[in-house]
Amino acid sequence: MTDAKRVETMKAVRKLMLALATTLTLTAHAQHDPGTPAAVAAKVALRGDANGVRIPEMRVVRRNDILMVQADLANIGNTDRTIFYRFRWLDNIGSQVGDGESWKQMSLLGQAQQTVKSVAPSSVVTDFRLEMNVESR
Amino acid sequence: MSRLITSALLLCATLGLSACETLSSPVVRLDRQVNYGDAKSVELVTNEFGSTDLQMIAEKMVGSLLETGIFQGRPTVTISTVKNKTSEYIDTTNVMNSIQTTLVKSGKVRFVRSITEMQQGVDELQRQNQSGLYKQTSTAKIGKMTAAKYTLEGELTSIVKQNASTKDVFYKFTLKMIDVEEGSIEWQDEKEIRKTSKR
Repeated sequence: MTDAKRVETMKAVRKLMLALATTLTLTAHAQHDPGTPAAVAAKVALRGDANGVRIPEMRVVRRNDILMVQADLANIGNTDRTIFYRFRWLDNIGSQVGDGESWKQMSLLGQAQQTVKSVAPSSVVTDFRLEMNVESR
Repeated sequence: MSRLITSALLLCATLGLSACETLSSPVVRLDRQVNYGDAKSVELVTNEFGSTDLQMIAEKMVGSLLETGIFQGRPTVTISTVKNKTSEYIDTTNVMNSIQTTLVKSGKVRFVRSITEMQQGVDELQRQNQSGLYKQTSTAKIGKMTAAKYTLEGELTSIVKQNASTKDVFYKFTLKMIDVEEGSIEWQDEKEIRKTSKR
């Protein structure tokens, strides 16, 4: 192989390695859908990829001294998705309140939106996280 | 250069392998002979009434009760009958125990002994007052129990449909809170669950 060809090959391999390393890094972390606002994403503990499911809005209200949360889940793809979700309730210092909710399974049709809601188990709850994972098929 | 190509190929292989790994979902599964599973996982063993249904019903009912604000002033409540109108054997006291536990922990309501629990309370009072073994100043006095202002009554029904390939079971749990004195229904809610399986 001539020197020029060797240099070209090395450049191509370096580019490939850089691209692969970048992709590997990105896939290692859970990816929120770009349509999920940052403020909402901060309250979502997503396991794995969003797989086309975004959370365009979350509504939090304190009524009768109890925190209530509603989250809209939107499937922007055409494939139906199976979602597992639950809410985790936290007090003012971030400690979990209660033993935790059970996981719920939900089917979200392609191009559909559904609202999930939950009510905190006691008045000491001041914060929450929505834990969820979206099956890829 | 061959070292560079080898590294590139190794990176490709790693990426390929990591792309094949899919995240597991929180579903009951058996990896070895005996396993401690997650009590909060979704149970998909059969389409009969299961732990996940119990948990979903309890959480929905408790959430609905707490958000209405009906428990202003910490009223007293007791559990009445919860009928199982399905064709399965389901211990409905399990569901009511879960609801009662969460409500008691919320501190918003006071539960008093239910009809099924009364005998134990009466036995204890009689033991303290009539056995002659206890100091009178330390015994719980008879006739001082607090009566329930509300009772919780409910029922669980199901609709089962099946064809050659599919079995669909639809459960509906209805819970009511009734004012004992007035007989009025002050709160009511229901939880619907559909479970579908291949035959």
